Amino acid sequence: MWKTILRRVVIMIPQIVILSLLVFILAKFMPGDPFTGSITPQTDASQLHALKVQAGLYDPWYTQYVHWVVNMFHGDFGTSYQFKEPVMAVIGGRAVNTLWLSLFTVILTYLIAIPLGLLAGRYEDTNLDRGIMFFNYVTYAIPLFVFLVLGLWLFGYVLGWFPSGGSISLSANGFFGNALSRLYHMILPGVLTALLSTTSTVQYLRSEIVDQKHQDMVATARAKGVPERKVFSRHILRNSLLPIAAFMGYSITGLLGGSVFVEQIFVYPGMGQLFLNSISNRDFSVITALVMIYGILALFGTLLSDIIMSIVDPRIRIK
Amino acid sequence: MSLVEIKDLKVHYPIRSGFFNRIHDYVYAVDGVNFEIEPGQTYGLIGETGSGKTTIGRSIIGLEKITSGQILFNGKDVSTKRERKAVHYNRDVQMIFQDSLSSLNPKKRIYDIIAEPLRNFEKLSDTEEKHRVRELLDTVGLGDDDLFKYPFEFSGGQRQRIGVARAISTNPKLVIADEPVSALDLSVQAQVLNYMQEIQKQFNISYLFISHDLGVVRHMCDSMAIMHRGRFVELGTRDDIYNHPQHIYTKRLLAAIPDINVDQREVHRKHRKEVEKVFDTEQSRYYDKNGRVLPLQQISETHSVALPEDQVKGE
Amino acid sequence: MTNSKETQAVKTPSTMKVIWQEFRHDRVAMFSLVFTIVLILGIFIYAASLNLEKVTNVNIFAQYDKPGQDGFLLGADEGGRDGLKMLVIGARNSIMIGFAVTVISSLFGIIYGMISGFYGGWLDNGMMRIYDFINILPEIMIIIVLVTIVPKYNSWTFIIIMSCFMWLSTARLIRSKALAESKRDYVSASRTSGTSDFKILFREVLPNLSSIIIVDTTLSFAGNIGIETGLSFLGFGLPDSTPSLGTLISYAQDPDVIGSKPWVWLPAAVIILVLTLSISYIGQALRRAGDAQQRRG
Repeated sequence: MWKTILRRVVIMIPQIVILSLLVFILAKFMPGDPFTGSITPQTDASQLHALKVQAGLYDPWYTQYVHWVVNMFHGDFGTSYQFKEPVMAVIGGRAVNTLWLSLFTVILTYLIAIPLGLLAGRYEDTNLDRGIMFFNYVTYAIPLFVFLVLGLWLFGYVLGWFPSGGSISLSANGFFGNALSRLYHMILPGVLTALLSTTSTVQYLRSEIVDQKHQDMVATARAKGVPERKVFSRHILRNSLLPIAAFMGYSITGLLGGSVFVEQIFVYPGMGQLFLNSISNRDFSVITALVMIYGILALFGTLLSDIIMSIVDPRIRIK
Repeated sequence: MSLVEIKDLKVHYPIRSGFFNRIHDYVYAVDGVNFEIEPGQTYGLIGETGSGKTTIGRSIIGLEKITSGQILFNGKDVSTKRERKAVHYNRDVQMIFQDSLSSLNPKKRIYDIIAEPLRNFEKLSDTEEKHRVRELLDTVGLGDDDLFKYPFEFSGGQRQRIGVARAISTNPKLVIADEPVSALDLSVQAQVLNYMQEIQKQFNISYLFISHDLGVVRHMCDSMAIMHRGRFVELGTRDDIYNHPQHIYTKRLLAAIPDINVDQREVHRKHRKEVEKVFDTEQSRYYDKNGRVLPLQQISETHSVALPEDQVKGE
Repeated sequence: MTNSKETQAVKTPSTMKVIWQEFRHDRVAMFSLVFTIVLILGIFIYAASLNLEKVTNVNIFAQYDKPGQDGFLLGADEGGRDGLKMLVIGARNSIMIGFAVTVISSLFGIIYGMISGFYGGWLDNGMMRIYDFINILPEIMIIIVLVTIVPKYNSWTFIIIMSCFMWLSTARLIRSKALAESKRDYVSASRTSGTSDFKILFREVLPNLSSIIIVDTTLSFAGNIGIETGLSFLGFGLPDSTPSLGTLISYAQDPDVIGSKPWVWLPAAVIILVLTLSISYIGQALRRAGDAQQRRG
């Protein structure tokens, strides 16, 4: 098993290199440079040129690339033109917000998806199953942003149950007050996103359980007279639930992609919103850093899932 | 000159493992096999599952890449794809597959299935082609009505006859039949085999008959080879193999044929147990220390057996 | 000859026929199909009768007219433009972009997947590595970055950029099916019949994937409409000159509009829901038809 994990990690190295190259190339195509923001009518052209030479902007691309990568390893992504602050400092606070919202969403997703999948599988072909499958079809078909806008409108404006944006209310104070206010702001975006993220887990669990139900060992247990409930919890549940853990990592990619929509619609100050904000303000050092961070997070997410999968399911170890 | 000559044929599959996916070992699917096929004869290739018999068939027809050795067709080397293409090899060597359903494209009509080799190898006009396909269907006992049906509309036996018709459409000299009837009911088996024999008489085709069914091979083949672990253990005529088996593996195979005679059941079982005991005790003498079958020794003009050398002398 | 032609007409187990049978037995699917066709046709016909310039002309006196006011059936938006006409034009654009992306990306995905699955070996290995890599990229963000840095940005560049990322799931699905298909004996039989690999791939294997391709393309179509409108919603989809359903919903980002002027954006949201739900339902009915056919074969 260690071999599999090690190999999987080794495979990731070229992926990171290519990712960084890709992001670097994208960054090169973005207009402007680190000094664009500080140009004023008084700026001396020759002085600016000297600064650019000093910053290595006229070096061959590979030198620039190596320089960029080395800086990145030191956590130096340059300076944000919009905020006049180091990029990492700008991203830092936002990252925490995104992390909390994502974590909250993942937990909710599983809290909703696992019972639904189990029920649908256990009561296969009943009206309950059909209802859950219909729910699944709806969550599969609806685009996330439409669902979010509709949800915000209904619960945030028409009914007024939840705040319509932000991550914390200004009047909140004290540790618990802050925490509660944060949670309150996360409920609507979290629940709505989670509802739409359940599709694959519900589908997977249901078909896995239906499969297991028809397997010989389950039939044998049943024939031996093991009560149905015990058959279900002993034999079926354990085999079906383990791989679900592995989905956790894969879902990171999906969540990050969705965070752009969620945070934009709910005016939630996270990385996704920062990304869109930076795009409209042409703050390219922040954009580059965010794409890189999202890419690496996705890479680690799949790595995590693959490793969990290889522990849970020995079949894929031999590859 | 023989039609086909196989010289020291080897097909090895690499086993990859470890950190860098290096090749650590090989599966010796076929490991040094020699034989010849004469025109108009039927050869049987017998062995258990995994003995390499199907691999031999697939490498002769060109579906499997050979590791080393040579396949000569009319004296010409046809071991590589390019060489086969140059002499229109598959026009002369064709194949009948075991699973008739999977070997016929479900989305194609019978007409197009049978006409496929014709379109690739012969330049026929539309009318000639139509005529030829009808003729072929007639040869295997199917009518004009069936021309535009799809494979799933036929029974297993009919489908296998369609497979036969496709295989003989370009008047090949050799047809490799890989377990052609083992998926069929007994009554249908005979029917398909009879069609094959009739066609052989009519067109002077050689068959390489691959099977694990000793009864079928006995019915069809003039000479045959017994395979075990990728090598031949015994090679000879029908009489040599069935009446004078020399190798313990052959004896064991023959003993395993069920006897229909109920009165003899006890005798038969006793015989089988004896053979099994001999096989267990003598096994080490008939295989080398790696479990590999020994080289073949010729013991008569038609009969070769993989015997230990001392036993040949003692015979 | 006439006789056999008749049998051919009666007994052909064509994909189309099986699908038709399935739809006849599934009333909801039938309804979705008819409804989608009527809706799309209606949108296209109505949109064709409209003059884009006239519709998008700003009329400040009609700003945020309520539905029914001044003869605007669905009210008017910030620029005083007729909500219904904007809706129809936006819907047409979204459907067309979704369609174009689906055609391009599915075509590419099918070819990629078929080659990868059919040939196998190192080629498959390499192609799957490329697939793996693109798959982990944060696609929404990269699309947005590309949209902002591409020079001479227009609908076509947008279609191409989207297609670059939307072929993946098709390729993966088709690869696994082509892999299974290429192991079947009819492929070997075609080889020994002297047919070239290229011909085997597209003339023998492809027809056997047709029902899967139809299902996948339908579902992709619904998905691509969702992604296009989503990007347009964020402001990185269709150029401003080409309103999309997403553009119309993006008005909801104004807190005043979302709360008190729902007629500006709600109809567009409803149209997207209706479109994606009914097209997906058609896709699922098609999938059931495909399964039934497999059982029969």
